[in-house]
Amino acid sequence: MNFQKKHCVAMLLAGGQGSRLMVLTENTAKPAVPFGGKYRIIDFPLSNCVNSGIDTVGILTQYQPLELNEYIGNGQPWRLNRSHGGVQVLPPYARSKKSEWYKGTANAIYQNIPFIERYDPDNVLILSGDHIYKMDYAAMLRYHEQKDADCTIAVRTVPLAEASRFGIMNTKDDGAIYEFEEKPKHPKSTNASMGIYIFKWSVLREFLIADEEDPTSENDFGKNVIPALLNTGHKLFAYEFRGYWKDVGTINSLWEANMELLGTEPAFNLYGEKGERIYARNYAMPSSFIARESKNINSFIAEGCEIYGSITHSIISTGCTVEAGAIVEDSVIMPNVVIETGAVIRHAIIGEDCRICRGAVIGGSFAPEEPKKISVVGKKKTIAANETVKPGEIY
Amino acid sequence: MTTMGIIFANIYDSSLGELTNKRTMASLPYGGRYRQIDFSLSNMTNSGIRHIGIITKHNYQSLMNHIGSGQEWDLDLEEGGLEFLTPFAADHNSSYRGKLDALNSAMSFLVHSKEDYIVLVDSGVLCAIDFREVVEHHIASGADVTVVVKDGISNGKKQLDMAVKVDDENRVTDIAVDYCASEAYLASMGIFVISRERLIREVTEAVAHNRYRFERDLVMHGFAEEGMRINAYRFQGVALFNESTVEFYRNSLALIDPEIRHGLFNRSNRTIYTKVRDEVPAYYGEFSEIDDCIVADGCTLEGSASHSVLFRGVKLGKGAVVRDSVIMQGTVIGEGAELECVIMDKDVVVRPGSVLRGTKEHPLVFKRGEIV
Repeated sequence: MNFQKKHCVAMLLAGGQGSRLMVLTENTAKPAVPFGGKYRIIDFPLSNCVNSGIDTVGILTQYQPLELNEYIGNGQPWRLNRSHGGVQVLPPYARSKKSEWYKGTANAIYQNIPFIERYDPDNVLILSGDHIYKMDYAAMLRYHEQKDADCTIAVRTVPLAEASRFGIMNTKDDGAIYEFEEKPKHPKSTNASMGIYIFKWSVLREFLIADEEDPTSENDFGKNVIPALLNTGHKLFAYEFRGYWKDVGTINSLWEANMELLGTEPAFNLYGEKGERIYARNYAMPSSFIARESKNINSFIAEGCEIYGSITHSIISTGCTVEAGAIVEDSVIMPNVVIETGAVIRHAIIGEDCRICRGAVIGGSFAPEEPKKISVVGKKKTIAANETVKPGEIY
Repeated sequence: MTTMGIIFANIYDSSLGELTNKRTMASLPYGGRYRQIDFSLSNMTNSGIRHIGIITKHNYQSLMNHIGSGQEWDLDLEEGGLEFLTPFAADHNSSYRGKLDALNSAMSFLVHSKEDYIVLVDSGVLCAIDFREVVEHHIASGADVTVVVKDGISNGKKQLDMAVKVDDENRVTDIAVDYCASEAYLASMGIFVISRERLIREVTEAVAHNRYRFERDLVMHGFAEEGMRINAYRFQGVALFNESTVEFYRNSLALIDPEIRHGLFNRSNRTIYTKVRDEVPAYYGEFSEIDDCIVADGCTLEGSASHSVLFRGVKLGKGAVVRDSVIMQGTVIGEGAELECVIMDKDVVVRPGSVLRGTKEHPLVFKRGEIV
């Protein structure tokens, strides 16, 4: 087959089971979890790819792929419906000799070497499907090529006290990485890996094959591939990213990241000019109706909603109904939720397609300095009239 | 039995003044995020019509831009799909005098289609209608032409393109055109069903005799002179006649009534599709006060609005007050401005502190991109 060469192909690791998001991911792959009123987590890395001029993206998935597949479709919402390249969902598949699940992040890429080879790329960008951020991968790619690196790893500065929770890259003055420490007890620096890598494809290919042949390997980028490159004297560089970035792998971080969209100067700004926007699959919903008896303060309300209740510091996603007398505060309401009259929701995440019946009370209030115990109601649940879901409870 | 569709994009352009100066009637924005043609197109695709011709006369660039490949309506098809029938697609060098002229220009499109029936639609009446039912009604009636009609529109004041009286079996017994018909008449919604072969024959005959208006010269003439049997389909749902600036204004604000809103939208199997824009959800600021409004994505609301329609990407500054108004896409309303009974076309900039007032009978209209 005569395929055009691609400068850089992106591989998005979307296989995570998302077990720490519990009921929200029971039937949903983590990257398909709704975010910010009308988005899903995967919209962020996908939109970043498109906005960075990368038009070939493989999405590696194995848990609950149905919804993710349907959501991605032909990639048109992200302008990734290309005749050469575009977006492809790559689940593990049965081969003639053996079939297996993705054993680890490196193995997932290894199993898809044939996909990458079709584009004969110079570089491969490895991304994770559970981060919220806007990043210009093209700038990182320029840095990678300027340094003639074999591998460039995006890092961000974290407080020294927290550094022991991350993979830490110890670098020389020019950004060259001389040491990588996974969750070091005594961190020497504060450059935390963001799980975003650019590899020279020829080098990565060789190391993936070697890694696969090593029966003791866990087939993981952080644990195996990166250390192997370092140990063999390859050129690894750290690329510092200063913008907003959030791993939304836990209930609290998912809630926080949603809250950080709010305010006149939000920590994370969803708005952007053309070329900086976040794209999402849009469903045909009418504009929202905001009734006289409603009260909406410092909140996002997406389309297709009918709002009669009182909303403060919250995200209301597409297709929700909030009846008169209902109160929603400091909460994330996912798509197509109905909140009946008199229901009170505070510090909570309500999953898609839930019904919160009249008078139900979910979550509670916390003083500003108190840690927030976020209540969660899983997808498609009904909370009966006057029932209570306690602060921090997962229903 | 197969059905195709024809949409006339510019029927009432002249009566909407500035709002249709630079666009067709069909591309007039409505309801926060739609264009009028979205209703006709969505009704057709929801009714299984997969082959549609859009007849345009002038100003159709914004319409083509809006519709693109037709992908939002699932009409980017190999077979059938959408065709723009512009004046220059035919050998006629001037623009059409009426719908029959337009159909005559599109004759090769009609001849080369394969469908048995044609649904002809003007874009000035908004509704969610199932054309399958209309075509079935047409076939069952054995009539030559079916017109879709609405009760309660004729009032002796509103001039109707066509008004009819019917008997107990919905057979048309009287037709009047361009007439301020009394309550005894039913108003045509500008939707007709006819067989493709019959339409080709009638159009050819009419144009050969220098007759060019569909309602007067095909339907009324055929009925009165040639014994043509006309069937009326009485539509029961919400139908909004958007044929003048005041009607457009009233019908826009009518969406605040839940019965009308839910009659047009939220109908199962009758979703209205439109072009997607990647806007952020609407943001309601600390001091915003939004009462009885239709609000689209991408709005940033820091001020107050009541009984109004706010399209995508409207910015409402602190202390600004908007009442009984229609504010189209991308308009920016400066801090402390006060607006009452106005229609702001796209991308208008209202300077801070401006005071602009129209009346419900005569809303003030501001042109696209104006700075006031």
